Amino acid sequence: MKWWKIASVVLLVYTFTAGLLVPLKSGIERVEPAVAATKQSLAIRFFGYNTFFTRPAEEPIRVWLYYNDRYALQARQVKPLNDTILEATFQMPANLPDGKSFVLLNALVDHPAAGASLLPAALTLRQVDSAEASLDRAWTDNPVTGLHLQRGFSFPYQNILYETIRNTYFHVPMWFVLLFLFAASVFYSIKYLHRPEVDLDRRAAAYAEVGILFGILGLLSGMVWANYTWGKPWSNDIKQLMTAAALLVYAAYFVLRGSFSDPEKSARLAAVYNIFAFASLVPLLYILPRMFDSLHPGATGNPAFGTQDLDNTMRAVFYPAIAGWTLLGFWIADLRIRYQRLRDKALGLD
Amino acid sequence: MDRAVLTFVLWLGIYLPAVFAEGNRDFMRETGKIYVVVATLLVILLGIVGYLIRLERRLTKLEHQTKDDA
Repeated sequence: MKWWKIASVVLLVYTFTAGLLVPLKSGIERVEPAVAATKQSLAIRFFGYNTFFTRPAEEPIRVWLYYNDRYALQARQVKPLNDTILEATFQMPANLPDGKSFVLLNALVDHPAAGASLLPAALTLRQVDSAEASLDRAWTDNPVTGLHLQRGFSFPYQNILYETIRNTYFHVPMWFVLLFLFAASVFYSIKYLHRPEVDLDRRAAAYAEVGILFGILGLLSGMVWANYTWGKPWSNDIKQLMTAAALLVYAAYFVLRGSFSDPEKSARLAAVYNIFAFASLVPLLYILPRMFDSLHPGATGNPAFGTQDLDNTMRAVFYPAIAGWTLLGFWIADLRIRYQRLRDKALGLD
Repeated sequence: MDRAVLTFVLWLGIYLPAVFAEGNRDFMRETGKIYVVVATLLVILLGIVGYLIRLERRLTKLEHQTKDDA
Protein backbone atom coordinates (compact mmCIF):
# COMPACT_ATOMS: atom_id res chain seq x y z
CA MET A 1 0.00 0.00 0.00
CA LYS A 2 1.27 3.45 -0.90
CA TRP A 3 2.27 5.84 1.89
CA TRP A 4 -0.32 8.44 0.95
CA LYS A 5 -3.15 5.95 1.38
CA ILE A 6 -2.00 5.30 4.94
CA ALA A 7 -1.68 9.08 5.41
CA SER A 8 -5.28 9.47 4.24
CA VAL A 9 -6.50 7.00 6.88
CA VAL A 10 -4.44 8.63 9.65
CA LEU A 11 -5.63 12.13 8.74
CA LEU A 12 -9.26 11.06 8.51
CA VAL A 13 -9.12 9.26 11.86
CA TYR A 14 -7.68 12.46 13.36
CA THR A 15 -10.38 14.55 11.63
CA PHE A 16 -13.20 12.37 12.94
CA THR A 17 -11.79 12.15 16.46
CA ALA A 18 -10.88 15.80 16.95
CA GLY A 19 -13.73 17.09 14.82
CA LEU A 20 -16.37 15.24 16.82
CA LEU A 21 -14.90 15.18 20.34
CA VAL A 22 -13.47 18.67 20.95
CA PRO A 23 -16.14 20.59 22.89
CA LEU A 24 -17.71 23.89 21.88
CA LYS A 25 -16.99 27.06 23.83
CA SER A 26 -19.60 28.26 26.30
CA GLY A 27 -22.32 30.35 24.70
CA ILE A 28 -25.54 32.19 25.52
CA GLU A 29 -28.60 30.81 23.77
CA ARG A 30 -31.15 33.44 24.82
CA VAL A 31 -32.19 35.72 27.66
CA GLU A 32 -35.61 35.96 29.30
CA PRO A 33 -37.36 38.35 29.33
CA ALA A 34 -36.04 39.73 26.05
CA VAL A 35 -37.80 43.09 26.46
CA ALA A 36 -37.38 45.58 29.31
CA ALA A 37 -38.26 49.21 30.06
CA THR A 38 -36.20 52.03 31.51
CA LYS A 39 -36.19 52.50 35.32
CA GLN A 40 -37.28 48.88 35.70
CA SER A 41 -35.57 46.63 38.20
CA LEU A 42 -35.72 43.05 37.04
CA ALA A 43 -34.08 39.64 37.15
CA ILE A 44 -33.07 38.39 33.73
CA ARG A 45 -32.36 34.73 33.06
CA PHE A 46 -29.41 33.92 30.83
CA PHE A 47 -29.67 30.47 29.21
CA GLY A 48 -26.25 29.05 28.51
CA TYR A 49 -24.99 26.37 26.14
CA ASN A 50 -22.06 24.19 27.28
CA THR A 51 -21.83 26.29 30.43
CA PHE A 52 -21.07 25.26 34.00
CA PHE A 53 -22.31 28.21 36.05
CA THR A 54 -22.46 26.35 39.36
CA ARG A 55 -18.92 25.00 39.23
CA PRO A 56 -16.79 26.81 41.85
CA ALA A 57 -14.41 29.37 40.36
CA GLU A 58 -11.75 31.62 41.86
CA GLU A 59 -13.49 34.78 40.62
CA PRO A 60 -17.17 35.67 40.38
CA ILE A 61 -19.12 35.45 37.12
CA ARG A 62 -19.79 38.92 35.72
CA VAL A 63 -22.70 39.84 33.47
CA TRP A 64 -23.30 42.86 31.25
CA LEU A 65 -25.91 44.15 28.87
CA TYR A 66 -23.96 46.40 26.58
CA TYR A 67 -24.85 48.82 23.85
CA ASN A 68 -21.42 49.66 22.43
CA ASP A 69 -17.84 50.27 23.54
CA ARG A 70 -18.89 53.30 25.58
CA TYR A 71 -22.14 52.27 27.18
CA ALA A 72 -22.70 49.09 29.18
CA LEU A 73 -24.85 48.06 32.13
CA GLN A 74 -23.44 45.61 34.63
CA ALA A 75 -25.68 43.27 36.62
CA ARG A 76 -25.89 44.16 40.31
CA GLN A 77 -26.30 40.60 41.38
CA VAL A 78 -25.56 37.30 39.63
CA LYS A 79 -27.01 34.02 40.82
CA PRO A 80 -26.51 30.66 39.06
CA LEU A 81 -29.72 28.59 39.19
CA ASN A 82 -28.03 25.56 37.65
CA ASP A 83 -25.23 24.88 35.19
CA THR A 84 -27.07 26.38 32.25
CA ILE A 85 -29.28 29.09 33.78
CA LEU A 86 -27.92 32.25 35.33
CA GLU A 87 -30.14 34.85 36.96
CA ALA A 88 -28.79 38.40 36.80
CA THR A 89 -30.51 41.36 38.44
CA PHE A 90 -30.36 44.70 36.64
CA GLN A 91 -31.47 48.20 37.60
CA MET A 92 -32.33 49.74 34.27
CA PRO A 93 -31.30 53.41 33.91
CA ALA A 94 -33.77 56.24 33.41
CA ASN A 95 -32.77 57.09 29.87
CA LEU A 96 -31.11 55.65 26.79
CA PRO A 97 -27.89 56.70 25.04
CA ASP A 98 -28.09 59.03 22.03
CA GLY A 99 -31.68 59.94 23.02
CA LYS A 100 -33.10 56.85 21.32
CA SER A 101 -36.59 55.49 21.98
CA PHE A 102 -35.29 51.92 22.19
CA VAL A 103 -31.93 50.16 22.00
CA LEU A 104 -30.86 46.58 21.33
CA LEU A 105 -28.44 45.36 23.97
CA ASN A 106 -25.92 42.54 23.63
CA ALA A 107 -25.68 40.03 26.44
CA LEU A 108 -22.20 39.31 27.78
CA VAL A 109 -21.31 36.71 30.40
CA ASP A 110 -17.73 36.56 31.63
CA HIS A 111 -16.76 33.34 33.37
CA PRO A 112 -13.24 33.06 34.87
CA ALA A 113 -12.65 29.58 33.39
CA ALA A 114 -15.04 29.35 30.43
CA GLY A 115 -14.20 32.82 29.14
CA ALA A 116 -16.50 35.52 27.78
CA SER A 117 -19.58 34.59 25.76
CA LEU A 118 -21.70 37.02 23.81
CA LEU A 119 -25.21 37.04 22.40
CA PRO A 120 -25.77 39.96 20.01
CA ALA A 121 -29.08 41.88 20.18
CA ALA A 122 -30.28 39.80 23.12
CA LEU A 123 -32.58 42.32 24.76
CA THR A 124 -34.64 45.33 23.69
CA LEU A 125 -34.68 48.19 26.17
CA ARG A 126 -37.54 50.67 25.63
CA GLN A 127 -37.71 54.25 26.82
CA VAL A 128 -40.76 54.98 28.97
CA ASP A 129 -41.67 58.43 30.34
CA SER A 130 -39.87 61.44 29.02
CA ALA A 131 -36.12 61.23 28.86
CA GLU A 132 -34.06 63.21 31.30
CA ALA A 133 -31.51 65.65 29.98
CA SER A 134 -28.35 64.02 31.31
CA LEU A 135 -27.49 60.38 30.68
CA ASP A 136 -27.70 58.03 33.61
CA ARG A 137 -24.28 57.22 35.08
CA ALA A 138 -25.19 53.53 35.20
CA TRP A 139 -24.24 53.36 31.49
CA THR A 140 -20.61 54.31 32.10
CA ASP A 141 -19.92 53.39 35.74
CA ASN A 142 -19.07 49.73 35.12
CA PRO A 143 -17.39 49.39 31.73
CA VAL A 144 -16.64 45.97 30.23
CA THR A 145 -13.06 45.22 31.29
CA GLY A 146 -10.78 42.30 32.10
CA LEU A 147 -12.62 39.68 30.07
CA HIS A 148 -11.34 36.13 30.37
CA LEU A 149 -10.30 33.79 27.61
CA GLN A 150 -11.18 30.14 27.66
CA ARG A 151 -8.33 27.83 28.41
CA GLY A 152 -7.92 24.63 26.45
CA PHE A 153 -8.88 23.40 23.02
CA SER A 154 -12.42 24.19 21.89
CA PHE A 155 -14.42 25.23 18.83
CA PRO A 156 -16.30 28.53 18.63
CA TYR A 157 -19.92 28.69 19.71
CA GLN A 158 -22.21 30.29 17.14
CA ASN A 159 -25.92 30.78 17.45
CA ILE A 160 -28.00 28.78 14.93
CA LEU A 161 -24.96 26.63 14.08
CA TYR A 162 -24.33 25.07 17.51
CA GLU A 163 -22.61 21.68 17.03
CA THR A 164 -23.07 21.78 13.26
CA ILE A 165 -19.98 23.99 13.09
CA ARG A 166 -18.25 20.59 13.00
CA ASN A 167 -19.60 20.13 9.48
CA THR A 168 -16.74 22.43 8.46
CA TYR A 169 -14.56 19.31 8.53
CA PHE A 170 -16.95 17.18 6.51
CA HIS A 171 -18.98 19.33 4.11
CA VAL A 172 -16.41 22.02 3.24
CA PRO A 173 -13.49 19.66 2.32
CA MET A 174 -15.74 18.09 -0.37
CA TRP A 175 -15.19 21.24 -2.44
CA PHE A 176 -11.44 21.08 -1.97
CA VAL A 177 -11.43 17.43 -3.09
CA LEU A 178 -13.51 18.39 -6.12
CA LEU A 179 -11.09 21.19 -7.04
CA PHE A 180 -7.98 19.03 -6.67
CA LEU A 181 -9.51 16.13 -8.62
CA PHE A 182 -10.70 18.37 -11.44
CA ALA A 183 -7.25 20.00 -11.50
CA ALA A 184 -5.63 16.56 -11.79
CA SER A 185 -8.13 15.72 -14.54
CA VAL A 186 -7.31 18.79 -16.62
CA PHE A 187 -3.58 18.18 -16.01
CA TYR A 188 -3.84 14.74 -17.62
CA SER A 189 -6.04 16.08 -20.42
CA ILE A 190 -3.38 18.62 -21.34
CA LYS A 191 -0.76 15.90 -21.15
CA TYR A 192 -2.90 13.73 -23.43
CA LEU A 193 -3.15 16.48 -26.05
CA HIS A 194 0.60 16.76 -25.89
CA ARG A 195 1.23 13.04 -26.10
CA PRO A 196 -1.83 10.90 -26.96
CA GLU A 197 -1.51 7.83 -24.74
CA VAL A 198 -4.60 5.89 -23.66
CA ASP A 199 -3.53 5.82 -20.02
CA LEU A 200 -3.44 9.64 -19.77
CA ASP A 201 -7.00 9.82 -21.06
CA ARG A 202 -8.11 7.12 -18.60
CA ARG A 203 -6.66 9.17 -15.75
CA ALA A 204 -8.35 12.38 -16.88
CA ALA A 205 -11.72 10.63 -17.07
CA ALA A 206 -11.39 8.88 -13.70
CA TYR A 207 -10.39 12.06 -11.83
CA ALA A 208 -13.32 13.93 -13.39
CA GLU A 209 -15.74 11.13 -12.45
CA VAL A 210 -14.65 10.96 -8.82
CA GLY A 211 -14.62 14.79 -8.74
CA ILE A 212 -18.30 14.75 -9.72
CA LEU A 213 -18.97 12.19 -6.96
CA PHE A 214 -17.50 14.54 -4.37
CA GLY A 215 -19.38 17.47 -5.88
CA ILE A 216 -22.68 15.58 -5.48
CA LEU A 217 -21.75 14.62 -1.92
CA GLY A 218 -20.87 18.25 -1.14
CA LEU A 219 -24.19 19.39 -2.56
CA LEU A 220 -26.22 16.77 -0.66
CA SER A 221 -24.39 17.20 2.65
CA GLY A 222 -24.81 20.96 2.25
CA MET A 223 -28.56 20.48 1.77
CA VAL A 224 -28.82 18.49 5.01
CA TRP A 225 -26.90 21.22 6.85
CA ALA A 226 -28.88 24.02 5.20
CA ASN A 227 -32.19 22.44 6.17
CA TYR A 228 -31.41 22.90 9.86
CA THR A 229 -29.58 26.24 9.71
CA TRP A 230 -31.15 28.20 6.84
CA GLY A 231 -34.57 26.57 7.24
CA LYS A 232 -34.79 24.73 3.92
CA PRO A 233 -32.50 22.46 1.91
CA TRP A 234 -32.42 24.58 -1.25
CA SER A 235 -32.53 28.38 -1.05
CA ASN A 236 -31.29 29.16 -4.59
CA ASP A 237 -28.20 30.51 -2.92
CA ILE A 238 -25.64 31.68 -5.48
CA LYS A 239 -23.14 29.03 -4.41
CA GLN A 240 -25.74 26.24 -4.63
CA LEU A 241 -26.77 27.36 -8.12
CA MET A 242 -23.25 27.83 -9.44
CA THR A 243 -22.15 24.46 -8.05
CA ALA A 244 -25.08 22.75 -9.75
CA ALA A 245 -24.08 24.51 -12.98
CA ALA A 246 -20.44 23.41 -12.60
CA LEU A 247 -21.52 19.79 -12.07
CA LEU A 248 -23.66 19.96 -15.21
CA VAL A 249 -20.66 21.27 -17.17
CA TYR A 250 -18.72 18.21 -16.03
CA ALA A 251 -21.66 15.88 -16.68
CA ALA A 252 -21.53 17.13 -20.28
CA TYR A 253 -17.89 16.00 -20.38
CA PHE A 254 -19.06 12.40 -20.00
CA VAL A 255 -21.89 12.84 -22.49
CA LEU A 256 -19.27 14.06 -24.96
CA ARG A 257 -16.98 11.10 -24.22
CA GLY A 258 -19.80 8.64 -24.87
CA SER A 259 -21.01 10.18 -28.10
CA PHE A 260 -18.18 9.09 -30.39
CA SER A 261 -17.56 5.56 -31.60
CA ASP A 262 -13.91 6.28 -32.38
CA PRO A 263 -12.14 6.14 -29.00
CA GLU A 264 -9.20 8.26 -30.15
CA LYS A 265 -11.42 11.06 -31.45
CA SER A 266 -13.55 10.91 -28.33
CA ALA A 267 -10.49 11.17 -26.08
CA ARG A 268 -9.05 14.13 -27.97
CA LEU A 269 -12.30 16.11 -28.03
CA ALA A 270 -12.97 15.30 -24.37
CA ALA A 271 -9.52 16.55 -23.45
CA VAL A 272 -10.15 19.86 -25.22
CA TYR A 273 -13.57 20.18 -23.61
CA ASN A 274 -12.05 19.40 -20.18
CA ILE A 275 -9.82 22.48 -20.47
CA PHE A 276 -12.89 24.63 -21.09
CA ALA A 277 -14.76 22.93 -18.25
CA PHE A 278 -11.95 23.64 -15.80
CA ALA A 279 -11.70 27.21 -17.02
CA SER A 280 -15.41 27.68 -16.33
CA LEU A 281 -15.05 26.16 -12.86
CA VAL A 282 -13.04 29.09 -11.52
CA PRO A 283 -15.62 31.82 -12.25
CA LEU A 284 -18.53 29.53 -11.34
CA LEU A 285 -17.22 28.48 -7.93
CA TYR A 286 -14.78 31.20 -6.91
CA ILE A 287 -15.61 34.49 -8.60
CA LEU A 288 -19.36 34.73 -9.23
CA PRO A 289 -20.42 33.64 -5.71
CA ARG A 290 -18.36 36.46 -4.23
CA MET A 291 -20.10 39.08 -6.32
CA PHE A 292 -23.57 38.39 -4.99
CA ASP A 293 -25.19 38.17 -1.59
CA SER A 294 -25.05 34.66 -0.25
CA LEU A 295 -26.04 32.70 2.82
CA HIS A 296 -22.62 31.10 2.73
CA PRO A 297 -19.80 32.68 4.68
CA GLY A 298 -17.31 34.37 2.41
CA ALA A 299 -19.96 36.16 0.34
CA THR A 300 -19.63 39.63 -1.16
CA GLY A 301 -15.89 39.76 -1.42
CA ASN A 302 -14.44 38.43 1.79
CA PRO A 303 -12.86 35.01 1.67
CA ALA A 304 -14.42 32.56 4.12
CA PHE A 305 -11.20 32.22 6.06
CA GLY A 306 -11.51 35.26 8.30
CA THR A 307 -11.22 34.88 12.05
CA GLN A 308 -15.02 35.13 12.25
CA ASP A 309 -15.53 31.84 10.42
CA LEU A 310 -12.45 29.84 11.25
CA ASP A 311 -10.36 30.31 14.38
CA ASN A 312 -7.02 28.71 15.10
CA THR A 313 -8.39 25.62 16.85
CA MET A 314 -10.61 24.98 13.84
CA ARG A 315 -7.68 25.38 11.46
CA ALA A 316 -5.83 22.66 13.40
CA VAL A 317 -8.58 20.24 12.31
CA PHE A 318 -9.70 21.83 9.04
CA TYR A 319 -6.40 21.66 7.15
CA PRO A 320 -5.71 17.98 8.04
CA ALA A 321 -9.33 17.27 7.09
CA ILE A 322 -8.80 18.75 3.62
CA ALA A 323 -5.62 16.68 3.15
CA GLY A 324 -7.28 13.47 4.42
CA TRP A 325 -10.41 13.76 2.27
CA THR A 326 -8.35 14.75 -0.78
CA LEU A 327 -6.09 11.71 -0.46
CA LEU A 328 -9.20 9.53 -0.07
CA GLY A 329 -10.57 11.03 -3.28
CA PHE A 330 -7.35 10.23 -5.12
CA TRP A 331 -7.41 6.72 -3.67
CA ILE A 332 -10.89 6.08 -5.05
CA ALA A 333 -9.84 7.58 -8.40
CA ASP A 334 -6.84 5.26 -8.38
CA LEU A 335 -9.14 2.23 -8.08
CA ARG A 336 -11.27 3.59 -10.92
CA ILE A 337 -8.19 4.01 -13.15
CA ARG A 338 -7.00 0.47 -12.43
CA TYR A 339 -10.42 -0.97 -13.21
CA GLN A 340 -10.52 0.89 -16.51
CA ARG A 341 -7.02 -0.37 -17.39
CA LEU A 342 -8.11 -3.99 -16.84
CA ARG A 343 -11.30 -3.48 -18.80
CA ASP A 344 -9.54 -1.87 -21.76
CA LYS A 345 -7.07 -4.74 -21.77
CA ALA A 346 -9.88 -7.32 -21.68
CA LEU A 347 -11.63 -5.61 -24.57
CA GLY A 348 -8.40 -5.37 -26.49
CA LEU A 349 -8.44 -1.58 -26.61
CA ASP A 350 -5.04 -1.09 -25.08
CA MET B 1 -29.48 -8.91 -1.56
CA ASP B 2 -28.87 -5.33 -2.72
CA ARG B 3 -32.56 -4.57 -2.64
CA ALA B 4 -32.72 -5.79 0.94
CA VAL B 5 -29.84 -3.51 1.89
CA LEU B 6 -31.51 -0.56 0.19
CA THR B 7 -34.79 -1.24 1.96
CA PHE B 8 -32.98 -1.46 5.27
CA VAL B 9 -31.22 1.88 4.71
CA LEU B 10 -34.50 3.52 3.74
CA TRP B 11 -36.14 2.03 6.80
CA LEU B 12 -33.33 3.42 8.96
CA GLY B 13 -33.69 6.82 7.33
CA ILE B 14 -37.46 7.11 7.58
CA TYR B 15 -38.54 4.99 10.49
CA LEU B 16 -35.91 5.92 13.07
CA PRO B 17 -36.29 9.72 12.85
CA ALA B 18 -40.07 9.20 13.10
CA VAL B 19 -39.60 7.24 16.31
CA PHE B 20 -37.41 9.92 17.81
CA ALA B 21 -39.65 12.71 16.58
CA GLU B 22 -42.52 11.28 18.61
CA GLY B 23 -44.30 13.64 20.97
CA ASN B 24 -43.65 16.57 18.65
CA ARG B 25 -40.06 16.93 19.81
CA ASP B 26 -37.72 18.04 17.10
CA PHE B 27 -35.09 15.35 17.35
CA MET B 28 -32.72 16.93 14.82
CA ARG B 29 -32.71 20.33 16.51
CA GLU B 30 -32.10 18.98 20.00
CA THR B 31 -28.80 18.55 21.84
CA GLY B 32 -27.09 21.32 19.94
CA LYS B 33 -28.14 19.94 16.51
CA ILE B 34 -25.45 17.25 16.79
CA TYR B 35 -27.60 14.83 14.77
CA VAL B 36 -27.32 17.19 11.79
CA VAL B 37 -23.59 16.43 11.85
CA VAL B 38 -24.40 12.70 12.06
CA ALA B 39 -26.76 12.99 9.07
CA THR B 40 -24.17 14.94 7.06
CA LEU B 41 -21.55 12.30 7.78
CA LEU B 42 -23.95 9.50 6.84
CA VAL B 43 -24.72 11.16 3.50
CA ILE B 44 -21.01 11.43 2.69
CA LEU B 45 -20.10 7.93 3.85
CA LEU B 46 -23.09 6.25 2.16
CA GLY B 47 -22.29 8.14 -1.04
CA ILE B 48 -18.70 6.94 -1.05
CA VAL B 49 -19.72 3.38 -0.17
CA GLY B 50 -22.37 3.47 -2.91
CA TYR B 51 -19.73 4.46 -5.46
CA LEU B 52 -17.41 1.67 -4.27
CA ILE B 53 -20.22 -0.90 -4.51
CA ARG B 54 -20.86 0.19 -8.11
CA LEU B 55 -17.18 -0.12 -8.91
CA GLU B 56 -17.00 -3.54 -7.31
CA ARG B 57 -19.97 -4.74 -9.34
CA ARG B 58 -18.28 -3.65 -12.56
CA LEU B 59 -15.16 -5.48 -11.44
CA THR B 60 -17.10 -8.67 -10.77
CA LYS B 61 -18.63 -8.44 -14.23
CA LEU B 62 -15.19 -7.97 -15.74
CA GLU B 63 -13.86 -10.96 -13.79
CA HIS B 64 -16.64 -13.15 -15.20
CA GLN B 65 -15.94 -11.92 -18.72
CA THR B 66 -12.21 -12.61 -18.54
CA LYS B 67 -12.92 -16.01 -17.02
CA ASP B 68 -15.15 -16.89 -19.96
CA ASP B 69 -12.42 -15.87 -22.41
CA ALA B 70 -9.74 -17.95 -20.73
